[in-house]
Amino acid sequence: MKVLARDDMATEFMPFWNAVDAGHLSFPVCRTCDRFHWYPLNLCPYCRGQDIAWSEVSGPGELYSWTVVRHAFDPEFWDQIPYIVALVVFPDAPGIRLVTNLIDVAPEKLSFGIAVTPAFDARNAADDPLRFRIVSA
Amino acid sequence: MKLDVAIVGVAETPPMRRSDKGVRGLVIDSVLAALDDAGIAPDEVDGIVTDSMIMPTTVPHDYVAAQLGINSRFDAAISMGGAGIVCAPLQAALAIQNGLADVVISYFGVDWGTRAAGPYGFHDVYPAKKVFEKPYGFNAQPAYFALWARRYMLEYGLTERQLGSVAVHQRRHALLNGGGQMTTPLSMEDYLSSKLISDPLRVPDCCQITDGAGAFVMTSGRRARDCRKRPVYAKGVGFGSVPITGDAVFTQNPELLVIPGAKAAAGDAFTMAGVGANDIDFAEIYDCFTISCLMQLEDMGLCEKGEAGAFFEAGEAGLGGKMPVNTHGGLLSYSYRLGIEHLVEAVRQLRGEAGAAQVVGAEMGLVSGLATPDFGVLVLGGENTR
Ligand SMILES: [Zn+2]
Repeated sequence: MKVLARDDMATEFMPFWNAVDAGHLSFPVCRTCDRFHWYPLNLCPYCRGQDIAWSEVSGPGELYSWTVVRHAFDPEFWDQIPYIVALVVFPDAPGIRLVTNLIDVAPEKLSFGIAVTPAFDARNAADDPLRFRIVSA
Repeated sequence: MKLDVAIVGVAETPPMRRSDKGVRGLVIDSVLAALDDAGIAPDEVDGIVTDSMIMPTTVPHDYVAAQLGINSRFDAAISMGGAGIVCAPLQAALAIQNGLADVVISYFGVDWGTRAAGPYGFHDVYPAKKVFEKPYGFNAQPAYFALWARRYMLEYGLTERQLGSVAVHQRRHALLNGGGQMTTPLSMEDYLSSKLISDPLRVPDCCQITDGAGAFVMTSGRRARDCRKRPVYAKGVGFGSVPITGDAVFTQNPELLVIPGAKAAAGDAFTMAGVGANDIDFAEIYDCFTISCLMQLEDMGLCEKGEAGAFFEAGEAGLGGKMPVNTHGGLLSYSYRLGIEHLVEAVRQLRGEAGAAQVVGAEMGLVSGLATPDFGVLVLGGENTR
């Protein structure tokens, strides 16, 4: 499934995808209280600060939790099951948990805390989501 | 605040996967049957309370009023789905105890068994979903709760068999009740060999999908004594929430393995009722999934954190155990009408009408309603608790 078209997207969501288009992963952080929040909001949910910056994540993320979806709840995913939905956390963006897919890996290989990294090269178009791969040892 | 309101009539349509009646027809049937159960005529109703998100768009108050000839003096809605259902007695009490209404009805129904998008459709109200979740196939409750379950297993040592014991116990209760959607036994072996839906959750870890409705009738404690059935009193109601949106709550809540609002809602409900967790004889928990049932028991203080799985495995949540849970089979095995069936069952238990699944000596019951990030708790007492 494609990401919602930019024209239909809330403006506060766009910086994430613009950064992804440029090959970066970045998240909103409040310049007043230095806390990250997700999903993007116009006011910092912790201090109501309006000065929101986007901070680039430098290294790989860690696998916080995952599930192998084996049922096509949305018929559009019929030809994709089973697929892995992962929740990924980042040491340099505390408080963010990113929902993504893990590709090119068997579910048996997964464990808590393993390093995962964005697969920018697996995107072919601006409305493709950003999936992740595990970092091989 | 001391509550002085009673539930004097309850009813539900028979649980089924598909009905050709339509949700509005199902709701009308259940409201009429609940009024009959109370021995109150429709034109004596002067107040309506429901959840504020699902009923107002599918079975609006004005439709029910027009259909039944209700001259409303009081109209209110609170929270969404399950949390709204169990908190409705709070608004009814505010109206009844202040002379704003005499007889208040509440209802809830769904036709998610026949509608194409089923229980997944309403998530489209959340703007982040189509941008950050749906493109990854993160589009349904089993996947959301699976992420919690996997992490919970790591942090609290919950086992697959403990998850399974929730499903197995509740299926046993459903068979005793006999009126639920699941009519075949479920053993632990059956559970462990059942189909995975979204690891680690299997088919029996997930609730039913149902077409059906339920309703209840509330009035003052004084008037309740003249109604047809034994009154059941709302002793305490608690509402809790956290400041996070309904989409982000499944992945971004700082305390991801804590049910938002559960502790606060239970605390308020117990304080209002003047009772503690130990006084609860049975509990009807919003078991949309096995994992969420366990987490609610813990976060409401009915079990220690991390202990609810062992509580089930030891049989303490079964009939005859310390505190039977979901005595009709719950959302897992009875039906999934977002908890209206839980309230109806709790009233039947406290009246002594629960048949083969009756909790002997039941005087005080708890009903929880989860609608993340909202949570509701209702403590109900039998005739002797007024
Ligand atoms: Zn801030």
